[in-house]
Amino acid sequence: MLDTVLEFAIQGVVLGGLYGLFAVGLSLIFGVLDVINVAHGEFFALGGYLAVGAIALLHLPAGAGVAGAALGAFLLGLAVYPVLIAPLKRRLGRRPAGPLYLVLTLGLSTFLQSSLLAVAGGDYLQVQSYVRGILDLGVTAVSYQRLLVLATALVLLLGLFAFLRFHRLGLAVRAVAQNPDAAQAVGIDLPRIFALTLGLGAALAGVGGALMAPLFNVYPAVGFPLTIKAFAITILGGMGNLAGALLASFVISLAEAFSVMVIPSQWQNLIAFVVMIVVLLLRPQGLLGRARTR
Amino acid sequence: MSARRVGLLVAGVVAALLPALLPHPFVLTLATQAVVWALLAASWDLLSGYTGQVSFGHAGFFALGAYGAATATKHADLSPWLGLLAGALLAGLVGLLAGFPALRLRGHYLALVTLGLAEIVRLVAQNWLALTGGPFGIHDFRSFPGLPATALGQRQAVYLITLGVAGAAVAAMLWLCERTRAGQAFRAIREDEVLAAHLGINTTGWKLLAFAVSSAGAGLAGALYAYYINLVSPVVASAATTSLVIGMAVFGGLGTLWGPVLGAILLFGLSEGLRFVGVVYNLIAIGLVIMVFVIFLPRGLAGLRSSGPGALRSSE
Repeated sequence: MLDTVLEFAIQGVVLGGLYGLFAVGLSLIFGVLDVINVAHGEFFALGGYLAVGAIALLHLPAGAGVAGAALGAFLLGLAVYPVLIAPLKRRLGRRPAGPLYLVLTLGLSTFLQSSLLAVAGGDYLQVQSYVRGILDLGVTAVSYQRLLVLATALVLLLGLFAFLRFHRLGLAVRAVAQNPDAAQAVGIDLPRIFALTLGLGAALAGVGGALMAPLFNVYPAVGFPLTIKAFAITILGGMGNLAGALLASFVISLAEAFSVMVIPSQWQNLIAFVVMIVVLLLRPQGLLGRARTR
Repeated sequence: MSARRVGLLVAGVVAALLPALLPHPFVLTLATQAVVWALLAASWDLLSGYTGQVSFGHAGFFALGAYGAATATKHADLSPWLGLLAGALLAGLVGLLAGFPALRLRGHYLALVTLGLAEIVRLVAQNWLALTGGPFGIHDFRSFPGLPATALGQRQAVYLITLGVAGAAVAAMLWLCERTRAGQAFRAIREDEVLAAHLGINTTGWKLLAFAVSSAGAGLAGALYAYYINLVSPVVASAATTSLVIGMAVFGGLGTLWGPVLGAILLFGLSEGLRFVGVVYNLIAIGLVIMVFVIFLPRGLAGLRSSGPGALRSSE
């Protein structure tokens, strides 16, 4: 019994790290730009492909593959603001955007996903684990690859939180999230911050995709279900609330892991969406969010 | 107005004569699919473009209609004509139920909830083996009674039935939006919900009506699809269906109903045409179309006609 519980707990925590990488970036983008990035999962898929390409095709070391994935996703994310969002913003002026950003990033998602399909084909790709071996915990065991996923996720997120708290640019990002007009008034270059935020969020997703490549398969649509689930997580955490998104990542991942003890495993993906709908009805501001009018 | 009537009449006559003009199974198959997409796009537009309550879950309503019809015919041996009704009713009912919680939500949140709802529909379709057949879906259920014996004759008849039913449904939605108080209320809610409520418009009731009609229309499209293709699988509930239908509506022009119908037919034709170039290129093109139209032509093809200076949502 204990070993089963422990095993599910480990599974849940590792998955929570992955969800955290993904959902914190999504929540950051929403908090700063007020844009829900439907294409977030495609950055995850891109990261997976870049890692597979670097490691399997170019025979680079795994670390270089992950770094390449981060860089590639960062650069593509950087381009999203000037190429797509800024022109729409300019045309709209002060008029409400309504759902237009959602539809715009949905188009980006379709475009990126099918471009990956065109370039890499629809095959399920896999790479060998970046680190071999298994850590024996006595009652149960966990592979070093899974520990690597968790450790990298936590280090990166810690780095992100530190960046936002202490670095000049990070402070600027937070200032824009709080009040774009005031931020601009004190001389913050808004387009630069917007582009940087999208780049950072995309890079986190890209690293997630690269880290998961040995555990899951990589295919063009691999990220999209994760995007939908991350919506549920960010809503549970309170949209735009980063600590909330991280907490909610672990709540959902642990609930999914332990649900297997109660319900058949093929239903575990349902949990996030049921939670999302219940949260929106009972506590729309999320776990850590304060009620606000947005 | 009269020019539009003539246009509609010509389009209707051409569509009705298509089986005689181009009696080819392949052409008719594509035409039938285009009609189904047109109905789905118009249904989405009634709720999202016309009333301003953006749904990201129409794949779910479409799937509910398809599964409702297939189940009714396969397990309850209901006539497909009643099956169409059953599919539309099931989707409309779920849409109405989804409308209640959605009344409290706006914009982003509504879109995300409906996306979650469609994902729930997809997961149930995939996993409730006893009722839905799981990943393989439901097949081998009968189509409309009294179809001709030849393969071509069947295609022609099914196309005409699909065209007739979908055409009537789109006409009913157009009538609702342009000729009744409901249409005025829908537009008022879209433009300024608070103001509409202050003017004494029962925003709750009209929004629920929009939800019910829109999801029933999507369900009817799903039921027509089920009887035409004779196979329903969880794939229809995937988010790709929703993104395709939103692309069609954006392409044609939001908030006009006929724009999305036109957009669906043209974009479906484009996407099938690009299949000959390569299967993946059609989706790349659709992604591009969505982005380009949202940024530069948010009023779609319908907006090209009237050259009013950039009013975003004026549908007059």
